[in-house]
Amino acid sequence: MPAMVLLKEQLKVFLDRYAQRDALVAPVSEEGAVAYRRVKSAEEVTVDFDLPTLPPKAHFLPQTEELYRYAYGEGGMELNPPPPAAQTLLFGARPCDVRGITALDFVFAGRFGDAYWSDKREKTTIAGLSCRRVLPGCFCRAYGYGPTSGEGADLMLTNLGDRYVVEFLTAKGEAVLNAHRDLFGPAGAGDLEEKENRTANLARQFYREVDLRGVREKMDGLFASPYWERLARKCIGCGICTYLCPTCHCFDIVDEPAGPGGGRRLRCWDSCMFADFTLHTSGHNPRPGKKERVRNRFMHKLKYHYDRYGLDGCVGCGRCVAMCPANIDITRVIADVKEVG
Amino acid sequence: MNKVQDDLRREAARLLESGDAAMVIAWEEGSDAARTAPAFAVSPAEAAGLVWNPFCVPNLVKYLLDYRYEDTKIAVAVKGCDERAVNRLVQDRQFPRERIVVLGLPCGGMLDRGKTLAALGPRARLNGVEDRGEAFVLVSDQGEVTLPKEEYLLEKCLTCVRNAPARADVTLGPGVSNPARPGCDPFAPVRELEALSPAEKSAYWDGQFSRCLRCYACRNVCPACNCKECSFEQAVPGWQQGAGWISKNTSLAENYTFHLIRMFDVAGRCIDCGECERVCPVGIPLSKLYRKVLKDAAELFAVPTPGLTAAEIPVLGSYSPEDKEEFM
Repeated sequence: MPAMVLLKEQLKVFLDRYAQRDALVAPVSEEGAVAYRRVKSAEEVTVDFDLPTLPPKAHFLPQTEELYRYAYGEGGMELNPPPPAAQTLLFGARPCDVRGITALDFVFAGRFGDAYWSDKREKTTIAGLSCRRVLPGCFCRAYGYGPTSGEGADLMLTNLGDRYVVEFLTAKGEAVLNAHRDLFGPAGAGDLEEKENRTANLARQFYREVDLRGVREKMDGLFASPYWERLARKCIGCGICTYLCPTCHCFDIVDEPAGPGGGRRLRCWDSCMFADFTLHTSGHNPRPGKKERVRNRFMHKLKYHYDRYGLDGCVGCGRCVAMCPANIDITRVIADVKEVG
Repeated sequence: MNKVQDDLRREAARLLESGDAAMVIAWEEGSDAARTAPAFAVSPAEAAGLVWNPFCVPNLVKYLLDYRYEDTKIAVAVKGCDERAVNRLVQDRQFPRERIVVLGLPCGGMLDRGKTLAALGPRARLNGVEDRGEAFVLVSDQGEVTLPKEEYLLEKCLTCVRNAPARADVTLGPGVSNPARPGCDPFAPVRELEALSPAEKSAYWDGQFSRCLRCYACRNVCPACNCKECSFEQAVPGWQQGAGWISKNTSLAENYTFHLIRMFDVAGRCIDCGECERVCPVGIPLSKLYRKVLKDAAELFAVPTPGLTAAEIPVLGSYSPEDKEEFM
């Protein structure tokens, strides 16, 4: 499918059609913190951001998700699942976050299908949006893609200032074009050349060289290394790195009783950095201290996810690098792993 | 400041070599020029990597609690504001003062990371810093920049109460002038909120707390939140989950419950270090919440910022016949 051009002033029209007809989930700025929310109009949407504070994974895996309501009736227990998801356009996902969603597809739509994830995933069209610039924490390049990559998205918008070059990459993407042909014009050779220049320009902006060669293999022998204890001393045990991560997906299931007759069963994000993570009923915790928890996180990002699914568990978005209160920096860990024994 | 950094390294090495401290908690170079990371030196060689510069923002005192069941002495680098955290832990009987070696660092203020990076350039490597009283001069591999304190300091430093520890075991470097600006009112943002109607206040905090992720960074970094186990994450069996203080559900109501309970828990004990606001990933202005409590305590009981002196009893942990009785 050939690339098209969408003028900047047409973007609002395009988004409003989704906001009014179906559902639009798009970046919203809340006092400087950017998160993806369901919006009612394009007026609420911002494109004026670099890396959103929160990745859009919460659209597919909400921090709190109702699995069903339960009630004790005359015929026994009744379970009422929530209504099915709406047809949705997820607009403005950065390439790293789209890759995060792809990584999570293996978890929630692989060998064990998760109905909640899959329902939303099937009904959502992902419109990727190229990055404005490279941030100091960014290292997507180490994973073989970059700030304009559309891989995993249904359509990909590359920002050229006054217009976007739009590529339609899947059948869902083509359906978008077919429904809104009036808004798109053909992309000329100049547009495509400008997009290539933009890509090349962004590729020159990276601050960090992160070389992953040999890291995964080395991690195998590092489980008992004293390195983890040294690293974990810094950790304050908060959930920032995991909650902002596009691929972290641990959850806990809790019941919220509402009176004697029933209640709700909720799936809530959990974090391997929390002291009660994997705490057994007996009181035993296989990860009793910071050392074990920090090690688990880096093993998962740099090894376990790949071992299970053949795709890295880190996408190089750099959120944890930027936001960790103790400046625990995964790119430093990657470098350290090669050095330590 | 480079000389003070040398002194810090030398003193840390001496403490570790002599066995006067088993560990020195201070700062090391961070991911970029305007950032430091906590460092935990256990050998003289590691002491050589410690730094002192206007980016040593993290309050390190709470890390002591990770070693509370050991019997070794631990040295910790302490700025003026951080000393209140030392007193907090000692007064709350969480860590014995005699196990702490306070390395006091007279502080000319800490620089705002974002503003500094914009001035310095994100690729710069820091080579040296000079505190010229009214400004910091930063020397990097990209050249030299002068950052006037009035414009570049963290807001909390402009209302600094005391910029050097009063009871350090070792003071490193000479005294420097307090960066506080005359006329800067720490409670100005609180007054603005107090002037709102209840509905406006409610709308304001609804907007803030609705984006809380309950990552608990504010609690975990807080020296006044020093319970061994937190009531917010007590493991309770499923059939008792409704009886817990708070659900894992991140609804607005649960988020309010978390923040307001925490606010009441640290009332009269919050040392106003501002760490909660610094670490919040979604920019909730938590210091407005905690300064409201500080302001109330100051107005009702005429007490200074908690933790300023070693001997005080937290105001809500003590009783005086002179206490106001507005609602009794």
